[in-house]
Amino acid sequence: MMPHAQKAAIFNKDEARTDWHDASLWMVRKKRDFAVSEIPEWEFLREFASDIKMHTLSKLDDYLEAFEKAAIQNGAIVHWAADAKEHNDIVLSILNKHQAKKMVKSKSMLTEECHLNEFLELHNIEVIDSDLGERIIQMLDEPPSHIVLPAIHLKKEEIGELFHRELHTEKGATDPQYLTEAARHHLREKFHTAQVALTGVNFGIAETGEVVVCTNEGNADMGVHLTPVQIHSMGIEKLIPRRSDLAVFTRLLARSATGQPVTVFTSHHRNPKPAGEMHIILVDNGRTEQLGKPDFRSSLKCIRCGACMNTCPIYRRSGGHSYETTIPGPIGSILTPGIDLKKHGQLPFASTLCGSCTDVCPVKIDIHTQLYKWRQIVSEAGLPEGGNKTMMSIMGSGLASPSFFHRLGNIGRKLLRIFPGKERFLSFTVWTKDRDLPKAPVESFREWYAKQAKDAK
Amino acid sequence: MPSKESILSKIKANRPNLWPLPDVPIFETLATDKKTLFIQILERGGSKVHCIDDSTQIHQVITTHFPEDKRMISTLPTLEGIEGITTLHPDFYEGTEVAIIEGLIGVAENGALWVTENELGNVRVLPFIAQHLVMVISEKNIVGTMHEAYKILGLPTTAGFGVFIAGPSKTADIEQSLVIGAQGARSLLVILTP
Repeated sequence: MMPHAQKAAIFNKDEARTDWHDASLWMVRKKRDFAVSEIPEWEFLREFASDIKMHTLSKLDDYLEAFEKAAIQNGAIVHWAADAKEHNDIVLSILNKHQAKKMVKSKSMLTEECHLNEFLELHNIEVIDSDLGERIIQMLDEPPSHIVLPAIHLKKEEIGELFHRELHTEKGATDPQYLTEAARHHLREKFHTAQVALTGVNFGIAETGEVVVCTNEGNADMGVHLTPVQIHSMGIEKLIPRRSDLAVFTRLLARSATGQPVTVFTSHHRNPKPAGEMHIILVDNGRTEQLGKPDFRSSLKCIRCGACMNTCPIYRRSGGHSYETTIPGPIGSILTPGIDLKKHGQLPFASTLCGSCTDVCPVKIDIHTQLYKWRQIVSEAGLPEGGNKTMMSIMGSGLASPSFFHRLGNIGRKLLRIFPGKERFLSFTVWTKDRDLPKAPVESFREWYAKQAKDAK
Repeated sequence: MPSKESILSKIKANRPNLWPLPDVPIFETLATDKKTLFIQILERGGSKVHCIDDSTQIHQVITTHFPEDKRMISTLPTLEGIEGITTLHPDFYEGTEVAIIEGLIGVAENGALWVTENELGNVRVLPFIAQHLVMVISEKNIVGTMHEAYKILGLPTTAGFGVFIAGPSKTADIEQSLVIGAQGARSLLVILTP
């Protein structure tokens, strides 16, 4: 696997496109700021959301059992999956039971995490992602680059070309309205012919056994209500205790995600439709392990709004695919090292530790602190984390010894005078790759101070 | 069920100490006029709002907005001359141009309207499958915030499905350009009755 820094460097080669990507996401961040400013009690809501989630995690076993009991009473069929494989096997068994060969799916990061599509396709099941962005990247055979805006990395010209090839739209057509209309017709047909619909879950309500799904396009509801069998795949951390807690979370989610006051559709599914079947799959896949890590368990509070990505200076300028994880960006960089430290251990270093992610997080996850803590673990494990080691050891000994520091400063100032600006005399570090170094002062503070003291005598 | 037991026992071993569950207050809106805010937020989200003085005017408002003779389905008991629910088979409703349904609660802060399957004649797909959606709601049923809405909703009793609808279906998945009319209704007309 190519390290994040290397992938980011490739992404950065197209400067205009990097700027465009950066600006697109920053626009979403600004919309979020406006939406947040409309709620005076915003900070209280974040605190409540954080406490509700922490409380749920502290009694997660009890709440899962209560949820299961209520859901069964409602007429749903509840399954438990320890890992991705078990989840995928359960979905396949439901499809097989109904001799279904076609399934529509609405956006679900969990099924991305489980690689459900690939698995089902191996078993000759046609899977149709029905969210527009998801459908686009599915046709391109790419993973999503963002958890809320899966096709944010693509230009409308590229989508126009894809749709011309796949949906026979006019050649050269790039108007989003026209392209969306083409996808609408294409997907309508799929909704009517699929036998099973699968959705992700935003919130599971322990006291009622309901699952709540938030969308803007209406695709999840089209699928669920038109097919006889509905499946809801849900990470076990999606639970909240009370139905009234939804007030807190629905106020936070869309405002944080896209700057809308609420998603267009907030659907509460309690029981199967007449003559229908409703399945809920509760998935662990590493979550219980994360729960056992005191420094990192609060990452399980995440409600998948994507605000930390939109605000992250690294994410915006390196693109979601550079992370090579299902969930990219700051939250992905604290969720995934726990799954595979060797593979994802470099991701906590893909951060400036500026803390902006923590500031915008609607459930108050201390993301940047956890990034820092993961760095300690990665370093202790002796894993390579980019080319900073030499610099760090020079800095370490230099800062520890006043005389060495003094000499280092002298050398540095002289070198800077000979090779100013982007001359990159420090070519062994990436630090000067795109930075102009400041003009070197004629003397250090120590030298100046010593002179002052002498003059004063 | 071996996975259930293993998941639950792992949680028991790994969960943090009991964290208290907070009581969340019913935050109210600062807006003095909830109706005006409700209309403003709905319009900002791409919906149309039509206020009437008397519910007998509903029919007229609908024919003004949808003058063409196309298929309409209504679940309002008071609307005569418009097709009602005749079958629960969802595919039957493909080709519906306009669906007319009742909203139970309107939320001023985000323009969301609550409806359950009871108001949909048990055809859950109706507000999504129709090309255009009309929701009728009394201005008496407008509340300020989601906290007030969920307080009124309480726990579900009869309905197995309920949804907040806050506008026409939309997407911005292509270059962040807003397109109204993704997979669901292309427009939402809210008729406000006294």
